[in-house]
Amino acid sequence: MRRRFAQSAPTVLRALVVVALVAFLIRPELFRPLLAPLCDAGQPVIYDRASLLSLTLSHLATVAISIGGATVVSVGLAILVTRPIGAEFLPLSRSIVNIGQTFPPVAVLALAVPVVGFGEKPTLIALFLYGLLPIFENAVTGLTSLPPEVVDAANGMGMTETQRLWTVEAPLALPVVLEGVRLSAVIALATAAIGSTVAAKGLGEVIIAGLLSNNLAFVVQGGVVVAMLAVTVYEALSAVERIFARRAGRIAKLEEA
Amino acid sequence: MIAIEELTKAYGSDVAVDDVSMVVEAGALTVIVGASGAGKSTLMRMVNRLVEPTSGRVLIEGEDAALLPVHELRRRIGYVIQNHGLFPHRTVAQNIATVPTLLGWDRQRIAARVEELLHLFQLDPATFARRHPYELSGGQQQRVGVARALAAEPRLLLMDEPFGALDPLVRGKAQEDLKAIQRQLGTTIIFVTHDMEEAIRLGDRIAVMDGGRLLQYAPPAEILVHPATPFVGALIGVGDRPFRLLSLETVAEEVEPGEAEGAAVAADADLRNVLAELLWSRRDAAPVAEHDGRVIGRVTLARLIERAGAPT
Repeated sequence: MRRRFAQSAPTVLRALVVVALVAFLIRPELFRPLLAPLCDAGQPVIYDRASLLSLTLSHLATVAISIGGATVVSVGLAILVTRPIGAEFLPLSRSIVNIGQTFPPVAVLALAVPVVGFGEKPTLIALFLYGLLPIFENAVTGLTSLPPEVVDAANGMGMTETQRLWTVEAPLALPVVLEGVRLSAVIALATAAIGSTVAAKGLGEVIIAGLLSNNLAFVVQGGVVVAMLAVTVYEALSAVERIFARRAGRIAKLEEA
Repeated sequence: MIAIEELTKAYGSDVAVDDVSMVVEAGALTVIVGASGAGKSTLMRMVNRLVEPTSGRVLIEGEDAALLPVHELRRRIGYVIQNHGLFPHRTVAQNIATVPTLLGWDRQRIAARVEELLHLFQLDPATFARRHPYELSGGQQQRVGVARALAAEPRLLLMDEPFGALDPLVRGKAQEDLKAIQRQLGTTIIFVTHDMEEAIRLGDRIAVMDGGRLLQYAPPAEILVHPATPFVGALIGVGDRPFRLLSLETVAEEVEPGEAEGAAVAADADLRNVLAELLWSRRDAAPVAEHDGRVIGRVTLARLIERAGAPT
């Protein structure tokens, strides 16, 4: 009985986080009593210049677009450099995605604004560049750490390069690639908040408003929503990863043991 | 028939296979044996061009392998390796269907072939077809690996240490099954191993390699009796030679008329096992029986001792 509780506790906790998050986004007033002590009398307790739900959706959309783009580019690049024909581009590609990671997103925002203007675009660029490295490195690892006898068998049975890539290498590397996507997505969720400094719609807006008007309630609600989103996305992507890993026959043994 | 002609593979100044010529008869099980680094895997992998020769050529039923499109060539040749190399994300049935799928067989034909092979390898389709490789024992995985290689009915099967990872008991069974299946299908097999015992047990002919060179290529009895070089002799293990010689023959070939006391030995048992049985039970002779229990004669210790010595 106790063991059962210990096993189901994380699931219950995750469900609670999601329920609390959804409740707060739909009916923030319900949480007024919790947040009221954090601000001075007379200050607004719940952010009201835009609906929290729409800000959250914009925040998620920004992350989804930038990480989606980063995934396509990184995985494409990883496939290219793990083929014999592109092997010599591996060091070059690595330096390029490394530069993306080394530049702080704030600096990218500052540099991008004069070129593409205020709004979503600078944020998308910053998150895209920042998201490349983890996905690229994981994809390269996933594609190069396949069991050698499996690759040998695929070749020996007469698969072409393309057939081997899509029917053997890609499905086996997928869980590792997804792990990279998860890392980038969670980092991007947190980092996207700074986009509000260049007028991108998102939850950063709430935090910045709180900082400017010295309203701790705003800072907390913005911060907590971002954190809960990050936790939820992390858990959701981990679950997807486990499904694919089991399909790829990679972790099934560990789980049974 | 596979003709290997003056085949050489060099990696820089390192010669892995050095000017090897040999002919593998159609329908024969040919074992290439040697220590690790002897070049035996490299030699085998040049047949399906997983390794491209530096010079020389391989003729498969008269066709130069180098002139065929490489993927077509490999789809026509079965390939089995140590640790089976099954696709972990695919079911047993999907694994076996790999080459037929590549060849574009229709689904019904593939399904029928998969079922046929599962039966042939004593794996019940209802139980095993939908399992994944990690749900199988080592021996079952190996059987699926061989079934997968045979799926498109290849005339030639290449096997690289296929039983190397199996424990001795399962290994013995796998060897027997392979012999039986080879007799049934008439497939030409090139089998690589470092284990002389396995080579003698399985091979119709044995090719002994060392340092990239082919030292001797002959039937097992010939190799046991006349090892071409001291190295071949060492590989056979001169001390075990009489027993290995006995292991090549079954009792059925040495039966003589007459009666004997005690439990009968099976007609298809090899002479080495029968010798052990006679020594252990302190008998000079034993009755020989068919599987149905019918006694067909006897085998004597004197005859076995006669057979175990070098031919005079």
